[in-house]
Amino acid sequence: MAGWWLRPLLRLGAAATLPLVVPALVAAVVWALPGDPAEIICPRSTCTGGAELAARWRLDAGPWAFYQAWLGDALGGEFGRSWRVLQGVPVAELLTEAVPNTLVLVGAAGLLVTLAGLGGLTGALGARAEALARAVGVAPAVLLGLLAAASIELRYGADAFGPDAASWRLVAGVAVLVLADGAFGGALAGARAATAAERAARYVGVAVLRGEAPLDNMLPNLAPALVGQLRARLVQLLSGAVVVEVVLRLDGVGDLLWTGTLLQDFGVVIAAATVFAVFSAVLLAAQAVAELIIGGVVRRVPEGLAS
Amino acid sequence: MSRRAAAALALLVLILAGGLALTAPGSLPAAELSRAYLPPWEAPPFGTDQRGRPLWATLAQGASVLLGPSLLAGVLVALAATLGGLARCLALPWLDAGIALVGELVGSLPRMVVVLVAALLLPGGARSLTPLALVWAALCAPGAIDEAAAVAERLGGARFVEALRAHGFGWARIFLLHLAVRNLRPVVVRQGAEVTLQVAFLEIALSYLAQADDQPSLTHSDRVRSWADLLTMGYPSLVLDVPTGHALALGVGAMALLVVGTHAAVRAARAR
Repeated sequence: MAGWWLRPLLRLGAAATLPLVVPALVAAVVWALPGDPAEIICPRSTCTGGAELAARWRLDAGPWAFYQAWLGDALGGEFGRSWRVLQGVPVAELLTEAVPNTLVLVGAAGLLVTLAGLGGLTGALGARAEALARAVGVAPAVLLGLLAAASIELRYGADAFGPDAASWRLVAGVAVLVLADGAFGGALAGARAATAAERAARYVGVAVLRGEAPLDNMLPNLAPALVGQLRARLVQLLSGAVVVEVVLRLDGVGDLLWTGTLLQDFGVVIAAATVFAVFSAVLLAAQAVAELIIGGVVRRVPEGLAS
Repeated sequence: MSRRAAAALALLVLILAGGLALTAPGSLPAAELSRAYLPPWEAPPFGTDQRGRPLWATLAQGASVLLGPSLLAGVLVALAATLGGLARCLALPWLDAGIALVGELVGSLPRMVVVLVAALLLPGGARSLTPLALVWAALCAPGAIDEAAAVAERLGGARFVEALRAHGFGWARIFLLHLAVRNLRPVVVRQGAEVTLQVAFLEIALSYLAQADDQPSLTHSDRVRSWADLLTMGYPSLVLDVPTGHALALGVGAMALLVVGTHAAVRAARAR
């Protein structure tokens, strides 16, 4: 098909713009709210010196100036300061603690979801496993998270949310993230459905008659769809991580974003949302690159046919 | 389960949830501390909470919080999917490209992150699930449109319409009956039902998380309670000797009822 590279290029374009668009949107939200943005930090009824504060926090020159300044600082690793969650604390410090936790949580869950997809692709996990995973996956993350938190409290008692139980909370978080909202079941079902549809194609039947392995023939055609499914699942896991981190009190970016939203701490929200945008952009770019590589390999002229 | 039985079950769940929502009291009954923590058999039908107030009031208020916005989101996504499927049969490549572009951008961000950023716009005094449900529907719509369009494509797209036109069928009959009702129905109803359930669970999750941080919910006013209150109240029974297991069972049961209703609706709409 002509122009097969258009979609991957579109994805690369989206990946490049996401980390720029998300902080711009948050900055727009700050100024869309009624009243002076500086009053969010320093309400006129309780504190004075709002003008100086607005200048110090770069809230005095409008959303565009705020966005430009914030983006320039962020590129240098400086994400501003918390407005309310831990007022005055550099957000970079909070992110330094939170980002690794979220990466481990989502990375481990993503690995298991990838294995589910591979199980569906190779046939190692069949219809029964899919039915079981789908049945468990009906439960939402908040409910499974609640059960996981209870099991940790039963095991650790008063220390359940202390440092000793941190690794258990992480393991429980990974389990909840994988099982809840149909992540594992969806990955397995998606891979099985795509494989079954491809297996029904005529060329696969011909390959079998030639004594070739069906998977070797199907994989180049299946790979883009499977990569797309995997990316969608990882984005789903990032979304679920917000709930899991709050319920299990894991200090991740999702927890930071949630607390920032509840307390209207735009300093935290803009940074946490941008981190999520960067994660999403990396996934988008990875999908695009994978599609370009697969497309290039599939469309190369077979050896010996070139004139 | 036959399609008729599934349709009857889905309707029953809808009537039950709708009845609960419509009979929800504006505010909770007065506290009666002497009746605190009563199990269902001592204070029918569902027992009482820690202040002796009947749990049915919490159940009904929770239904009133989530039912309308959830159904609205589901209907909007189903409508968008139907239009997307029909548009594919009109052979409008620019529309397909536009939907693909929007879907790519919208689908690339975690939905919860977008919902939380949108929640920042809600003024403290006017917190409601409806705007968040609309945002969630907007995030889900491109995927639903894409799937419905794929179904229309497999059907033959514009060639299918041409073939039916050659039989002398009118536009309304082709698009409404043959395409929307007979062919797009399973995928459209499934997408709508899934989004309805997702928004209901979103409300419960957001309310629960807010309670965990001792903050007001993003989805409803402080005068009203959510099904998340049942989970919050029931949770201690899992780890301590607190007699609130009936609240947890009621909350989980209510969520299970929604799951059953949703799956029944999907089953009722499946292709023959």
